[in-house]
Amino acid sequence: MKRFLRAAVTAVGLTALATGALASDWTPPGPIKLMIAFKAGGGADTQARLIAEDLEAKLGWKFIPEQVTGKGGMNLAMAIKDQPNDGSVIGIVVTETLGYNMKVANAGVAPSDFTAITTTAGFQMGVVSLSSKGWATFDDMIAAAKAGSLRFGAMSPKLADLAYLLGKAQGVDFNIVNVKGGKGVMNGVNAGDLDLGFMAGIQGKGVAAGDLVNLASALSEPLKQTPDAPTFADLGVPFSADGYFLIIGPGGMPTEARDALAAAVGEVVSTEGTKSNGMISKAFGGAAVIAGDDAQALVQSDFEAAGALLQAASE
Amino acid sequence: MRSFERANLILGLGAVGMAVLVACVWVPADVTTGMIEKVRRQITIGDALAPTLAAGFIGFGGLIVAVFERPENARRISARNLQFLAIFLIIVAIGFAVMRWLGPAVAGLLTDQGYRALRDTAPWKYIGFLVGAAGIVAALIGLVEGRLTLRGILVGLAAAIGLIVVYDLPFEDLLLPPNGDV
Amino acid sequence: MGWFDYVWMGILAVFQGPEMFSILGLAIPVTIVMILMGFLMGVAVGATPGLAGPMAMAVALPILISIFGFTPDALLPVMGFLLGIMKGATIGGAVPAILFNTPGTPDAFMTTLDGYPMTKAGQARKALRVAHFSSASGDTFSDIVLIFCAPFLAVVVERYLDLPEKTALLILSLAFIAAVIGGSVGKGLISLGLGLLAAYVGTGEDFYPRLSMGSQTLAQGFPIAAVVLGVLILGEVFKSIEELWQENRKSGALAVVEQSGDQRLHWADIKRLLPYISRSAVIGTAIGALPGIGSTLAATLGYTTGRAAHARKGRSPAFGQGAPEGIAATEAANSSVSGANLIPVLSLGIPGNAAAVFLILAADSIGGFNPGPSVFRFTGDQVNPEMVIAFGLFTCMMIANLLNWTIGGAFMRSMGFMSRIPKHILLPVVLLLTLTSIYVQETRMVAIWFTIGFGVLGYLMRRLGISPLPFVIAYILGGKLEESARQAFAATGGDAWFLFSSSVSIAFMALTVLVVTLSLRKPKEART
Repeated sequence: MKRFLRAAVTAVGLTALATGALASDWTPPGPIKLMIAFKAGGGADTQARLIAEDLEAKLGWKFIPEQVTGKGGMNLAMAIKDQPNDGSVIGIVVTETLGYNMKVANAGVAPSDFTAITTTAGFQMGVVSLSSKGWATFDDMIAAAKAGSLRFGAMSPKLADLAYLLGKAQGVDFNIVNVKGGKGVMNGVNAGDLDLGFMAGIQGKGVAAGDLVNLASALSEPLKQTPDAPTFADLGVPFSADGYFLIIGPGGMPTEARDALAAAVGEVVSTEGTKSNGMISKAFGGAAVIAGDDAQALVQSDFEAAGALLQAASE
Repeated sequence: MRSFERANLILGLGAVGMAVLVACVWVPADVTTGMIEKVRRQITIGDALAPTLAAGFIGFGGLIVAVFERPENARRISARNLQFLAIFLIIVAIGFAVMRWLGPAVAGLLTDQGYRALRDTAPWKYIGFLVGAAGIVAALIGLVEGRLTLRGILVGLAAAIGLIVVYDLPFEDLLLPPNGDV
Repeated sequence: MGWFDYVWMGILAVFQGPEMFSILGLAIPVTIVMILMGFLMGVAVGATPGLAGPMAMAVALPILISIFGFTPDALLPVMGFLLGIMKGATIGGAVPAILFNTPGTPDAFMTTLDGYPMTKAGQARKALRVAHFSSASGDTFSDIVLIFCAPFLAVVVERYLDLPEKTALLILSLAFIAAVIGGSVGKGLISLGLGLLAAYVGTGEDFYPRLSMGSQTLAQGFPIAAVVLGVLILGEVFKSIEELWQENRKSGALAVVEQSGDQRLHWADIKRLLPYISRSAVIGTAIGALPGIGSTLAATLGYTTGRAAHARKGRSPAFGQGAPEGIAATEAANSSVSGANLIPVLSLGIPGNAAAVFLILAADSIGGFNPGPSVFRFTGDQVNPEMVIAFGLFTCMMIANLLNWTIGGAFMRSMGFMSRIPKHILLPVVLLLTLTSIYVQETRMVAIWFTIGFGVLGYLMRRLGISPLPFVIAYILGGKLEESARQAFAATGGDAWFLFSSSVSIAFMALTVLVVTLSLRKPKEART
């Protein structure tokens, strides 16, 4: 499954162009409401608004962005569920929303109640600390954690589970602190309120400048910026924080509408020179487009896999 | 005078009663985690703690008001206040109901495609707002003046048109009421 | 990157920002145009009895955000406009107070005491000049204090306060606000508790939105604009309309007094006024720096201390009989609150008055700027964009002061006609404006109903003598309080006594108890 998905990501340009040509006759029935599950002004929100701007400029579609934040995207999911599914209402969340969060929330919905349209970018999720802490590697940090509990910032329940499992695998107890958003983790780490924490791309500039250090990759593969940092699998955690930004619609959206939207978004985020592409390349290490049925399959498998992580973290 | 002295007693006891209701009924029934939770072998603060504390402040404040703060000139709500509030709310409720439903009703009568398709098309998108908004303003001016006047209606229309000019004409992505709901 | 780099970048952010248009090849930056427009609007609004700065800020915000969008570039023009309104309204409030014996804003009440007698004595223009000079002096002084204090306070907070101390500081601020505003601790605490409760609906860490009664509408919590505008603006509008309804509107024709004599402000006058202005400016700034104590109290204190000094010197006319010193003492005090009020906002993220609430609302809606200690953090060789914005805001305030000194006086004196607009026509229009602007932001009818609901709450609170300001401030800080308590608890490894784990936090908690018990000892009935 994973291998197949990665192949799909690599082939993005082709897919986008191909489906683009196929579904080009679809036009939205009026203005499109774009629900955004992220706080205004953050990187994720900016990304969504730039995609809308690019599409308005390129295709003349009209978007009405609206913030529907909270509960790890579940508020957006519950709000979009009963909206018209003709492509006039879409939302941007993370794959975690339809996966882990939807499983844990137990709100009577499943990924099949939604239409996964396309992903736009992946996370460069690292375990990050200030370089002034003096930890050059992950092992230095663990040595410090053995001497006294460290404060570990996590911005979602899934990440808190992963932090717990990481500590368990390494034989240390972290004091796991729940923080709002990657910006919150970064502020906490900078202010010294936290010793280390998860950051999903926001650390890029700081790591490049040498103020922050990526101690580990929370992904199933190494970080692009710090390929030498060990992955969670290397550290004895059989789970990862792999995830993407995902555009969704209400369930049962006609294939024609879904593919046209996916193709249009896929094209603007992966075309060099567009506003969204520039932003995504800078903040999230480049576009990652998984569209249509593949996206649906991805969230479905995340949803089903959530149980194993929950189980492991409650032991 | 006596009723005024009692005003703060009633307010204070009311606040205490509300606090007890919130802390003992609403919070336990409508919050899924307790005050303190154990998650991942770590003790954390649950969702019930903060609202219970909020209820605590209301109750504590109510107690102080009821016991210590009993000046003779205490404020209270009179029947006349409630009468005003009722009239006022009726006017506003009717106004916004007109705003919400007039456009769809007219479009339903006169066209086949219905209001949703027309919600971004003039003059349809203005019908409800114009009539509802002008009605509210005219009625409130009329309430103070004691009768409905032409001047009140004109002020209401001017205000509604002003808002259309400010919000709707220059900005494509802003919606006037009720066009985001239909 | 040092302080001076940031000061310079802040200035450049204003002057080299996006340009609006150019005159003779000279580019006019959009931020400066916005400050000017906000300032003029503020003066006009302040000069209109029944309207106040916060109302104008509330109505302008959604329009501004749709013009400028949700990018960091929008912060300075939008907040510059709001700062302009804040400053303009402060001087505007004196106009009807002096000309017609009706305060344009509540804090200008004391201005009527000497301003109107001066008008009756044919000295209206001179009175306006005194008001303007004192107001502008107090305002500028206060801004300078802000610019020097806020960054250092923030650095101290960030360096020495850990999560438990930050939690204790929030508790202290809330207790202080509840105890001090309005003069009744009990009612202040009720207001505070209700505000916190409103903040906790729909939020929380668990996936079930707490206190939402299973309804999807409540699951996202109350929209912040609906709560703030409902309680602060609609509550006031309801109350004023009711008063008009009960009075059935006396339309008394205003007597026009022949104005005569020397209307100018001479150096000798200024020398005579300066002691009053400086005393009041210090009082106003000190009061403004404490969250929650408004400009009305500052004006009262400034006026009474000024009166005492005046009486000692035995000068005439006495305060209350048309003494320019009385106007100066009042206006310098109430105007010097506004700048200092931003000290707790920028360094701690704690709003102290309605204007500050709207600045936080603007920053929150646009994003990219989170008022609080992290604003003034040095981030090595990288630029901290929030600090640039902060110094950009200081630059905006200085530009607004410059406008105030240059064109403010003349513009203010031309605004006398605004007080002739009948209140009972104005208020329904304000109601409509507020509700429409809420809808434009939220695009759902239910937001309007929430706003009206909170308006009713604000109305009832005013009628019961419960100040609505602790409610609003608690609503804004409620999430932050819970979050920081949770983090402090988790970070200390589940220490139930984390609030008493260091001497600093113990001191904050002791102060909290002290503030509440001290204000318990002298219960007065509230003036809203």
